[in-house]
Amino acid sequence: MTLGAFVRKNRPHWQRLETMLGFIETRGPRKTDRPFLRELSSLYRATTGDLAFAQTHFRGTTLLLFLHQLVTRAHNQIYRPHRFSSQLAGRFFLNEIPQAVRGHLQAVAWSAIIFLMGIALGLSAVQFDERAASIILPSSVLNSIYSGQMWTGSIFSVVPAPVASTFLFTSNISVALLAFAGGLSFGLITTWILFQNGFMLGVAFKLCADYGLLGAMLGFIAAHGLLEISAIIIAGAGGFVVANALLNPGSLSRSDAMAQQGRSAVRMAVACIPALVTAGCIEAFISPSHVPVWFKVVLGLTLGISFWFYLLLTGKATSGRDGSPLPSH
Amino acid sequence: MTTPTSSWDANRTELELPEEIDLSVELANVGSRTLAILVDIGLGGLVLFIVYALMLLLAHDVTDDWLTRLSSNSLKTLLFLLIFGFQWCYFNIFEWFWNGQTPGKRLLHLRVIKADGSPVSGIDVLLRNLSRPIDTLGPMGLIGLLMIFINRKAQRLGDLMARTIVIHETQIDWSIFDEVAGPAEAPHLMTPVMPSIRLTSAQWELLHRYLNRREQFEAAARSHLAVTIVNALKPTAQGTDLALSPLAPEDWLVELARRT
Repeated sequence: MTLGAFVRKNRPHWQRLETMLGFIETRGPRKTDRPFLRELSSLYRATTGDLAFAQTHFRGTTLLLFLHQLVTRAHNQIYRPHRFSSQLAGRFFLNEIPQAVRGHLQAVAWSAIIFLMGIALGLSAVQFDERAASIILPSSVLNSIYSGQMWTGSIFSVVPAPVASTFLFTSNISVALLAFAGGLSFGLITTWILFQNGFMLGVAFKLCADYGLLGAMLGFIAAHGLLEISAIIIAGAGGFVVANALLNPGSLSRSDAMAQQGRSAVRMAVACIPALVTAGCIEAFISPSHVPVWFKVVLGLTLGISFWFYLLLTGKATSGRDGSPLPSH
Repeated sequence: MTTPTSSWDANRTELELPEEIDLSVELANVGSRTLAILVDIGLGGLVLFIVYALMLLLAHDVTDDWLTRLSSNSLKTLLFLLIFGFQWCYFNIFEWFWNGQTPGKRLLHLRVIKADGSPVSGIDVLLRNLSRPIDTLGPMGLIGLLMIFINRKAQRLGDLMARTIVIHETQIDWSIFDEVAGPAEAPHLMTPVMPSIRLTSAQWELLHRYLNRREQFEAAARSHLAVTIVNALKPTAQGTDLALSPLAPEDWLVELARRT
C-alpha cells in the first residue's frame, strides 16, 4: 500500500480519534458515556495497528510522527492515573504517610540527632561566649533579650495574628520542604537546615536563661514548639532518605535508588505541611496571648504526642501496598 | 503495563506500550524548557505585580512611602500566600490538573510524562516540583541546565527522582495530506492510458506537503521551491509523457500528484 492510499483509507478514523481526544482532554472523562469510550478504545487499537504498519513501511515520514503523537495522546487518556478523590487523599494521609515514616525510622533518628546537636552546640556556644548569639539572632531580638523582655511581645503586638500566622506557616513550610529537597545535595543542605534551626533554638534558650527569661520563653513555645520541631525533623528525615539513596544505592543505580526511595521521602515531606499550618496558627493566635501556661503546655503536649502517635502507630492495615506509590494506573 | 524499570534500563528514548508498539517521543530541548520556565515565572510575576498595583490603588494615602502602604494587612497576607503559592504550588497544581503541563509548557507544546510513557500521577508531580529549589530556581538552575545537557533523557534531578521526562508534542496537521485538486486546464493532457507513477513515501509526502501549503508562501519562494522540488522528483517520471511535459513547475507537480 502506498502512503497516499494508506492516508486516504485511514485518515477519517485518525481525525475522529483526534476529535474525541480533544473532547476528553478538555472536558474530562466524566463527561463521556459508554458508547464514546467504546469507540475511543477501538479507534485507539486501530490506530496503534496503523502505527505499527507505518513503522514498518513508512519510516522517516511526517505521517509517522503524527501517528506517534496521536497514539501517545490516546495512551495518556486511556492509562491516565486516578484523578484526585477523597478516598485516595484519605489513604494517602491515613496509611501511606505513617507507613513511609515507619519505614525510615533510622532517617528520623538521624534528623533528630542533628537537630539536637544544633541545640547542644547553640547552648554551649553562648555558654562559652555570649557574643556568639549575634551570629544567628537578629539584633532586635538580642536587644530585647538584653533589656529583659521577650522579643515576641513587640512583634506580636504590632503584627496582627492572621498575618503573623500566614507568615509563620509559609516560611516554616518553605524551610521544611527545602530540607526535603536538600536531600538531593547528598543531604548537605538538609543537615545545614536542621543544624541551623537547632542552633538558633539552643542560642535563644541559653540567652533567655541567662537574662531571666527562661520561664517566658518556655511559656511562649510550649503550645507550638513540639509540633513544629517534630514536623521539621520529619521533613529533614525525608531529605536524608533521598540522600541515603544517593550515597548508598546498594545494588541499584543511583537514579533508580533515588526514584525508589523518593516516593516515601516525599510522603514524609508532605506530612509536615498540615502540622506546620497548625503550629503556625497556634504560634500566632495562642502562644503570644495570655491564656494560662498550663493550657499551653497541655495543648502543646497533646498536639506533639498525637502527631507522633499518628506517624508511628496508625494506618497499619492496607492491602499490602506499603510504601508503594499512589496507584498510577 | 510495562514496569517502570524496563524502559528505564533500556538504552533508548523509545517507550514500550502494552500494545507491543515502540513509541518514540521527542524530548524537549533545553532551550524550550528554559523558555517555558521563564514564561511561568513571568506569569507569576505579572500576577504579583497586578495584585500589588491594585492594592496601591486601594490604599488610602498614595503619598505614603511604599512600606506603609505595604503594611495593609490583607495585602501582606495575600502577598505571602501568593509568593508561597507560586514557589510551592503553581507547578504542582498545574502539572497535576493539566496532565503534566503548566501555562509555559502548554505555550511551547511541552508535556511531562513518565519515562514509561504513562501520564504523571500526583506523587510524580510532587517529587519533580518540590525539588525545584535544588535544581531550577535561582542560581541552582545551573545544576538543572547541566543535568538536562548531559543526561541522555534530558532529566534534571527532580525528573530522575520522579522518573519523568519532558517531551515536545508534535502538532498534528492532517491538511498536508489533502487531496490535490487537478488544474482546470489539465484535461487536454490526458492520455487514454495514464501510467501510474510510483513515488516513495517521503517523496509523496514532500509533494503533498508543498501542494497543500503553497498558498501560504510568498510568490518568489513559492516558485523557487517548485523548481527545486520538480528537480528532485523529475527522475520518478522517467519513461512517461510527464518527463517531457512542457508544464510550468507548479502545474507539473499537480499533474504528478494526480498520477500517483
